[in-house]
Amino acid sequence: MEYLLSKNVEYVCECGLLKPLTNLYFCRHCLNLRCFFCCHHEVDSHFCRNCLENIPSGEAKLRKNKCNTCFDCPSCTLSALSARATTIQVPMTKEVKEGGEGSEIEASSGKMVSKKMYYLACLACRFSSRDVGISDQPSQNFFWPEQEYMHAIRFNTILNHYYSVVLHDKQLKQEERRRRSTKQSKFPNMTDRTGLNVSAIRRQMGFDKSAAKPKSKPTAIAPSIAEDVDDLPEEIFTQPINLKNITTIQQRFTQPANQPESVKHLYPQHKNLSIKRSIRCRHCEHNVIKPEYNPTSIKYRIQQFASSHVPEVRIIKCDQLVPNKSALITLKITNPTMNDMIITIMDLPTEEEEKMMIEEMRKNFEKNLSVSNKSSLMRPSLIEDSRIVSCKITAKLELPDSSFVINQRDDSAEFDDDVQSDKKDPKFILWRKANKIAIQLSITPNGELKVNDDVKIGFSMNFTYSSVPSSTPEKKETQRYALCARIYINAGKIVQ
Amino acid sequence: MSKLENKIKVMPKAVVCEDSTIKGDVTICSGSVIHPSAQIIAESGPIIIGENCIIEEYAKIIHRIPPDHKLAQEKNHVLVIGANNLFEVGSTVEALKIGEKNIFECKSYVSSNVTISSGCVIGAGCHVVGEQHLPENTVIFGKNCQQREALDKVSGSHMLQLDFLRKVLPNYHHLRKPCDIKKAANLS
Ligand SMILES: [Zn+2]
Ligand SMILES: [Zn+2]
Ligand SMILES: [Zn+2]
Ligand SMILES: [Zn+2]
Repeated sequence: MEYLLSKNVEYVCECGLLKPLTNLYFCRHCLNLRCFFCCHHEVDSHFCRNCLENIPSGEAKLRKNKCNTCFDCPSCTLSALSARATTIQVPMTKEVKEGGEGSEIEASSGKMVSKKMYYLACLACRFSSRDVGISDQPSQNFFWPEQEYMHAIRFNTILNHYYSVVLHDKQLKQEERRRRSTKQSKFPNMTDRTGLNVSAIRRQMGFDKSAAKPKSKPTAIAPSIAEDVDDLPEEIFTQPINLKNITTIQQRFTQPANQPESVKHLYPQHKNLSIKRSIRCRHCEHNVIKPEYNPTSIKYRIQQFASSHVPEVRIIKCDQLVPNKSALITLKITNPTMNDMIITIMDLPTEEEEKMMIEEMRKNFEKNLSVSNKSSLMRPSLIEDSRIVSCKITAKLELPDSSFVINQRDDSAEFDDDVQSDKKDPKFILWRKANKIAIQLSITPNGELKVNDDVKIGFSMNFTYSSVPSSTPEKKETQRYALCARIYINAGKIVQ
Repeated sequence: MSKLENKIKVMPKAVVCEDSTIKGDVTICSGSVIHPSAQIIAESGPIIIGENCIIEEYAKIIHRIPPDHKLAQEKNHVLVIGANNLFEVGSTVEALKIGEKNIFECKSYVSSNVTISSGCVIGAGCHVVGEQHLPENTVIFGKNCQQREALDKVSGSHMLQLDFLRKVLPNYHHLRKPCDIKKAANLS
C-alpha cells in the first residue's frame, strides 16, 4: 500500500492543490486534472452496505438514513451484528404449534419441543443483545424492539413547530407575490417565471371559489425551562469507578439520541446507509465518476481517473542528498494510454506566470459561462479561484536536454521478449520497457538546507494526449492535444 | 536451558499431533486437541493442560518466568491451564495462571505478568502486557485493547469442534501415543 499510495510524487490539480496521482480525476472535456475538492459531489443512490439493499432516496429520508434490518454493534462500533440461533426447549403448546415457523422439531418426550430462537451478536467484541436485556426473538427478520428515547416527544413537537413556521412563511411570501403581480398586469404572463402556479392563476381569474383559505398559524410550543441541576453525589469523588461499565465517548456518539452513560444501555443501532456518489467536473458539468447503480456492483459507468490518462512518475531511487552537492535521482515514467506520448520536461512556471495562468483561467471560465448559459438544469457552479501552489522548491533540477517518446500501453507486451528499439536514446534515459521509461536526472539541494529537511524538486511535464474518439460527430476523430502537468517530488531528506 | 528434559504425558483420548513442538514437562489431559506446529514449551516448570482444550496451529504456550518476575524465586512453579480453553491460530500465551473457558483469538499475545481467570476473551491481535489480573468474563477487543465485561456467558462452547477434530485429525496426522513417557523421550 505504501508503494501504491506514495505521497512522494504529487501533481498540481487545476485548483492549485497538490495531490498524488491516484487521488486525481481527469476531465476529458476540459482536458484538466480535477481533485476531490474542485468537483461537484452528488448522491446517486442509497444502499445498506451490510445487506446490499438499494433504498430509494425518498425512503431513505423516511428511514432516517438507516437500514431497517441491519444493526451495528454499539460496543465496538465497527462491525455489524449478526443474528445467531440457539435452540431452546419449550413445553409444547398450541401457540407454538401455530405461530412457530416450522422450525420446531417434536422432541422424543412428546411434551417438550425444541425451538430456534435468535439473538444478535458481534463477532469482534462478543457483544450480544442478551447483554442489554433484549429477549431472544423467534425469527431472524423479526423487528427487534426499538429503543425509546427520552426526548422523542419533545423533538417531535419542535419539529412540527418548525414545519408550521416554514409553511407560514411560504404562505406569506406567496401572498406578497400575488399582490405585487396583480398590480403589474391583469393578465399573468405564462412565460414569465414568477412561480405562479395554476391554482394561483385560477384564483386570480376568479375560478377558485375556495380561495380564502385560512392562514395557517405556527403551532405554539412551550419553551423549555432550565431546571435546577443537583450537585454531584458525594460518592463520585470517593468511590473507585469501574471503567468497564462506563461508555466511551465514541460509543455515546454513535447513539446521539440518548448518549448512554452505562454499558447496560448500549442498544443495537440500526446501520447507517451508504451512498453511491458521482463526481462532476465543476467547469463543464460532465461526470468524471459515475458508479453503476446496482449496490452489488463495484464497477463504474464513467471513470476518468487521472492515473489512466496522465503519465505516472515514480521515484526508483535517489542518491544521498547533501546541500550544494549534486545527486542523481532516477524516475520511472509510465504511459497509461493507448497512444504513444511525447514528453518534454521543463521548468515550473514562476510565481508571476502562475498568477497569469490563474487570471487567464478565470477569464476563460467566465467566457464559457456566458456562452453556455442556455437552459442548463444545473445551477451555475460556484468557482473558487485557483490558488498558488504552496510547495516550495528546495533543490535545483538539471533538465533533460531533449524530449522523448514513451510507447503506448500494450497489455500483450508483457509476454513479448524485450525488443530493443534501433533508435539511439539520449543519455539520460536509463532503460525503456514497453510503456515504461526510466530517466536519470541530477539535482542539487539548496545550500541553506539542514539535516532532515525535505528536498523538494519540481518540473512541468508536457505530454501529448490523444483524445478517445467519442460518439458525437464533431469529435469522431482522435485529436491530439499538448497538455501540461506540474509535478512536485519529495526526493528525500538531507543526510550528513 | 539448552537441553530440556522432555517428559510428555498424554492422557488417553487426547489428540496430540506428532508435528507439534512440545518441550519440557508437559501433561495433556484427556480430550484436548493439539494441532500440528503448535508449540508448548515448559522452560521454568511443568505445564498441565486441562481437559478439552484446543491448541491450534502456530499457537504458543510458553512457561517461562522472567528473572525479574515476582514468581522467579519460587521453585517448581506449575503452569496449570484449566479446561475448555481455546488457543487460536498464532496466539502466544505466556501467562502463568489460566482458568477455564478462555478464548485466545488469532495473533493475540498475553505476557507473563497477566493472570487470567475464567471466561475471558482476548481478541484477535490484542496484546495484553503489564501486570494485571483479568476478572471473569473480560473481553478484550479492538486495536486499542478496549475491555468490556460480557454479562451474558460467552456462548462459545467448542464441543462440536472438538468432536470433529478428534475424528478428522487422526486421518491426516501421526499422533503421539498416549501415556508413554519413554517413547516421548526417544522421539526428541
Ligand atoms: Zn482540485
Ligand atoms: Zn441492511
Ligand atoms: Zn462489537
Ligand atoms: Zn470538465
